[in-house]
Amino acid sequence: MEDNKKLAQQQRDNLISELSDNILKTAKTIVRPEDGDRKVGEIAAEIRQRLSFEANVLLNEAVTRLSPARLYKEITDAPQRTFQRFGKNFRFQHALMFISVIILIITGMPLKFPTLGISKFIVVDVFGGLENSTLIHRIGAVGLIFVGVWHLGYITISRFGRRDFLLMIPRPGDIKDFFHTLMFFVGRRSSGPKFGRFSFIEKFDYWAVYWGMVIMIGSGIIMWFKEWFPKYLYDIGREAHSDEGLLATLAIVIWHFYNVHFNPDVFPMSWVWWHGNLTEDEMKHHHPLEYAEIIEAESKRIIEQQEKLEQAGSDEK
Amino acid sequence: MRPWSMIVGLLAAGLLTGQAVALENCMICHGKKDHHKIEASGKRVSLYVDETTIEKSVHASRKCTDCHVDITEIPHQPAQKVNCRRCHYSGNPVGAPQGELYDQYEHSVHGLEVARGNPKAPVCQDCHGGHDVISHLIPESGFYRENIPRTCGTCHIDTYATYRESVHGMALDSGNVDAPVCTSCHGEHNIERPELPESKVSPIHVTETCSECHGPKGVVAKYGIKTDRTATFEESFHGVAQLMENMMVANCASCHGYHDIRAEDDPKSSIYPANIPKTCGKPDCHPEANANFASGKIHVDPTSEESGLLYYISRGFLVLTVSVLAGLFIYIIMDLVRRARAARGKR
Repeated sequence: MEDNKKLAQQQRDNLISELSDNILKTAKTIVRPEDGDRKVGEIAAEIRQRLSFEANVLLNEAVTRLSPARLYKEITDAPQRTFQRFGKNFRFQHALMFISVIILIITGMPLKFPTLGISKFIVVDVFGGLENSTLIHRIGAVGLIFVGVWHLGYITISRFGRRDFLLMIPRPGDIKDFFHTLMFFVGRRSSGPKFGRFSFIEKFDYWAVYWGMVIMIGSGIIMWFKEWFPKYLYDIGREAHSDEGLLATLAIVIWHFYNVHFNPDVFPMSWVWWHGNLTEDEMKHHHPLEYAEIIEAESKRIIEQQEKLEQAGSDEK
Repeated sequence: MRPWSMIVGLLAAGLLTGQAVALENCMICHGKKDHHKIEASGKRVSLYVDETTIEKSVHASRKCTDCHVDITEIPHQPAQKVNCRRCHYSGNPVGAPQGELYDQYEHSVHGLEVARGNPKAPVCQDCHGGHDVISHLIPESGFYRENIPRTCGTCHIDTYATYRESVHGMALDSGNVDAPVCTSCHGEHNIERPELPESKVSPIHVTETCSECHGPKGVVAKYGIKTDRTATFEESFHGVAQLMENMMVANCASCHGYHDIRAEDDPKSSIYPANIPKTCGKPDCHPEANANFASGKIHVDPTSEESGLLYYISRGFLVLTVSVLAGLFIYIIMDLVRRARAARGKR
């Protein structure tokens, strides 16, 4: 937002200098060397007439185009360059995961809180009994396991997956960023930390899901194939499954939903999960370091290309 | 008194007053020990009534004809069956105890069988006695708590034999009056077939019925037996499934048996460690169950320190969940406060 206001100011300055150039050119066309023998009074009259026409145009321009609000809107509404944040593969993983997780929560929570009226309503009235709801839960589980395996493949086989996974690994800078944020919240810093591709918030989200998948899939399999395991392991699996299920649900509903739905920056929803893109503004605002990197890499590439072209040109000569 | 004078008196009473014959008149014949009839089958049925029995019963003040209302003259036709509800109905004038019990009986498995015409089905007298109805608080009563299994056992003899060897029957035998008898589980007048949902021993209600003693308010606590059994069952998947109206799932009786419930350390018990795999492995339950599957405590309470690793996992998750959520909440609130302050500062 700040940037756009600055840009509006800049454009205003540009426009003014452009117009004054025009006036100068007009003046130059009026007072030509070959007109030297004309009477001074005649020339002066023409200049006045033509300049007053220019001035009227200038005035109109100023009133309509130079209003800062209009300029600001023009800049803000102008189609921006987009940056792809999530590729198709990653968006597919996210979509399949949240569909599975929603199914799992709906069919799982009633068994964590069976005495609530709504639990019985969901299991008995909506799904038509425990056998159906546990079957649907297992279908959701298959979806989640599939995503888990797919993701492991993605972070090892895919180049983007590998790069993103490496960037996801927590580093000391994240702890610094975290404290920086806290200082910013309490007013001890004037601005928040600048993030790269993944902020500590996103890393926390990712690793919470990672840990959750390990616990939920592991304990779920023990319960699914309970006949293969001793009863005490089943008990442990059930306890962990139920407790982690609740923790994960609350973390999603409170934390993830705050960050992607209810946060004033994105309310009512960030659509990046759907189209995968961020605008230049969003990049500058949320991932300034990554943005800077991209721009730097681009300009480097352009310079290299130009150098190559120049090289080729000088070789031809 | 000599017989002839009795007969004269009896005739006089009958002819002159037309009133019902008095007890002592009946005893002219029924007081004789060899008074009997021969049934069509040739069976000899004694018709002797011991006067002292009636005097001891709660009906001591009643006359024979108060119950045998069809007898109005002597000699009489074979007496019809006595209907107890002639007096025991709501608002009866003689003050006979009444209540829902009679309706309950009529809807019970016993009452319905009688209504169907099953000659073996019990009527009031089969349990309460005919001439010898006495209070259930008198030890001689068939309904004195300790005598109930024997009373029911007169018809349900195999069940009685099984029950006597069970942990409940043995406890009762050893003089423990808290031990459950037939009626503790099945009810008294409202005994229903276990298949019916309203039955106290139906799969839906059996947990409640057992928890009357084994639940938190249970009487078993004074014998050092755990009363968390129903709570741990309810928290188990079996209990949850039962709450969700799945009746396939194991209830107390599925594992412990019902009439043959035995102590954990009894090798014949279905929950004796060596027998557990078989108990779990019933064809409808977990046919793949083996010794490994069945190893570990069954009634396990994650909130009790005795549960070991399970307790620490449960505690660990509690601490983790509370601290993570508190942290996230604080972060979100700080973020929102910062935004609100920034927005105010701008304006």
